[in-house]
Amino acid sequence: MRKRLIPSPAAACSLGALVAFSLAVAPSAAWAQDYQAPLTPDGNPNLNGIWQAVGSAHWNIEGHSAEAGPVVEMGALGAIPGGLGIVEGGRIPYQEWALEKRNENRKNWLKLDPAVKCYMPGVPRATYMPFPLQIVQTPEHILIAYEFASASRVIYMNRPDFEAPADAWMGHSRGTWDGQTLVVDVTSNIPDTWFDSAGNFHTDALRVTERYTPTGPNHLTYEATIEDENVYTRPWKIRLPLYRRMEANMQLLEFKCVEFVEELMYGHLRKKKSE
Amino acid sequence: MRIRFFALGLAISLAGGLFAADEKTDANATEWSPPRTAWGVPDLRGVWDFRTITPLERPARFGETASLTEDEASKFESQELSRRNKDRRVSDGISAQQDVRNAYNQFWWDYGSELTEDRRTSLVVVPSNGRIPALTPTAQARYGAIRAARARAPHGPEDRGVAERCILGFNAGPPYTPSAYNNNVHIFQTPGYAVLLIEMVNDARIVPLDGRPRLPEDIRLWRGDARGHFEGDTLVVESRNFTDRTSFRGSGPNMRLTERFTRVGPERIVYEYTVDDPESFTATWTAVIPMKRTDQPMFEYACHEGNYSMFTMLEGARAAEREGAVHTGSNLP
Repeated sequence: MRKRLIPSPAAACSLGALVAFSLAVAPSAAWAQDYQAPLTPDGNPNLNGIWQAVGSAHWNIEGHSAEAGPVVEMGALGAIPGGLGIVEGGRIPYQEWALEKRNENRKNWLKLDPAVKCYMPGVPRATYMPFPLQIVQTPEHILIAYEFASASRVIYMNRPDFEAPADAWMGHSRGTWDGQTLVVDVTSNIPDTWFDSAGNFHTDALRVTERYTPTGPNHLTYEATIEDENVYTRPWKIRLPLYRRMEANMQLLEFKCVEFVEELMYGHLRKKKSE
Repeated sequence: MRIRFFALGLAISLAGGLFAADEKTDANATEWSPPRTAWGVPDLRGVWDFRTITPLERPARFGETASLTEDEASKFESQELSRRNKDRRVSDGISAQQDVRNAYNQFWWDYGSELTEDRRTSLVVVPSNGRIPALTPTAQARYGAIRAARARAPHGPEDRGVAERCILGFNAGPPYTPSAYNNNVHIFQTPGYAVLLIEMVNDARIVPLDGRPRLPEDIRLWRGDARGHFEGDTLVVESRNFTDRTSFRGSGPNMRLTERFTRVGPERIVYEYTVDDPESFTATWTAVIPMKRTDQPMFEYACHEGNYSMFTMLEGARAAEREGAVHTGSNLP
């Protein structure tokens, strides 16, 4: 079924205004550093498990008010919830031209947001999509499997000289341990991914340094430093907790969204019924 | 970024090759014992390459011959490589149409160049004729509709195969079947899980090994719902709950797929699968595929993200209709 789409004027102005008033991300007791994570049989900090972010960062990583959604028929269920934001200091330090581009992206996000088309969300966005992810550790490789779009990435451990064979939607990930923090250097990112549905973007100069720190038996702190000299005036950080999915027998299901976007992408090329 | 080729779903149906082994590769036949993980299970971790030019089904010309002599094998390999050589032109004696269909030249293809080490004429080992058993009338009707949709100018994306829609890779099954390229699977193990990450479309099959109950029948997955356990040194993965849009060689949603991974040497895994689907096949059948360790990393295979061919196939079909052109056959090379 095709949905009627109308632009939401409220969206454009309320989001714009909020940038000026976005909140700093306040540290809290949840970031405690005194927790000692159990070890894997191979002797590394054990991050294995199924984790998920909670919140609305996937809509907008900066703080934002709730607002109407773009699909009229979806009503309250399709509206966009507010969020405190996950950007340290509240706002992304865009260069002037880039802030304008971000705002243009935002006006046309439904057309431009690559995740609408079920494209792989890239890093860090895959982390805080409203879907679970599973970490599977081996000493040499750590797999992160994401339910959204069945995306996945392999983190190559302790191979700093292993250059990317090619640029990738999910980047090229090289990991090390810093105490019990998994540090991942993510390079060779293609420019086509966004950070959220609010138009926040980067270029192919993007470098993401992720830090996964166990802060309790059922919590990880996820931090990422974002660098892209084409777009920002300085490196900046995001931070959010990841929560263990506690359901008995929890497992990732499939969200192979290609079939959900075929009508959107190819519907205009269908054979007409009358022909 | 890897380029995606359209129209490769058919590559797996190449009728080029061989038959069933009269003595299948058997882990029990060796004294070798696999290394163990730190928690004591056989270590299958790493990237494994399952290329081979041994075809899934035995070509009719081989009759009852399940495996070839060395000379026969070498002759077959040479003929097969020549037949599959995409660098042949009209000047090499092929038709103009074939020449055009060779637009993806040899650079892109990665079928491998050898038969299985036991020189089998088919990957199918049961039944002994090396052929997939006949489809039931139900499966014939279902498969017939799929093939009819594929043969016509596509009415919409659903007319093309699951692989061309980038939902699952053309060699990704499940079960895995050697095909045109990206014949690699990265196996991860951690206590309680094995994960099978196929290069094609980056699909990770996460296999719980903790004896948990299966998903209820009404939760269906394109790649099936997998549960695993070890039998001796063999990792056994049993998958059910396939969707009614998933079809492996005519299988249906109630297929019970059993895959067995046995490491038989430092560089070798024997991969065996059995398809048990009485609604679709008149008998169960089994295939055995060798996997070789590789030190090469896998690539990201961004299929949907680069699926220009879906646009062009549909645009071409609509343009042809506007011009009143008659579609003369399959779109597939």
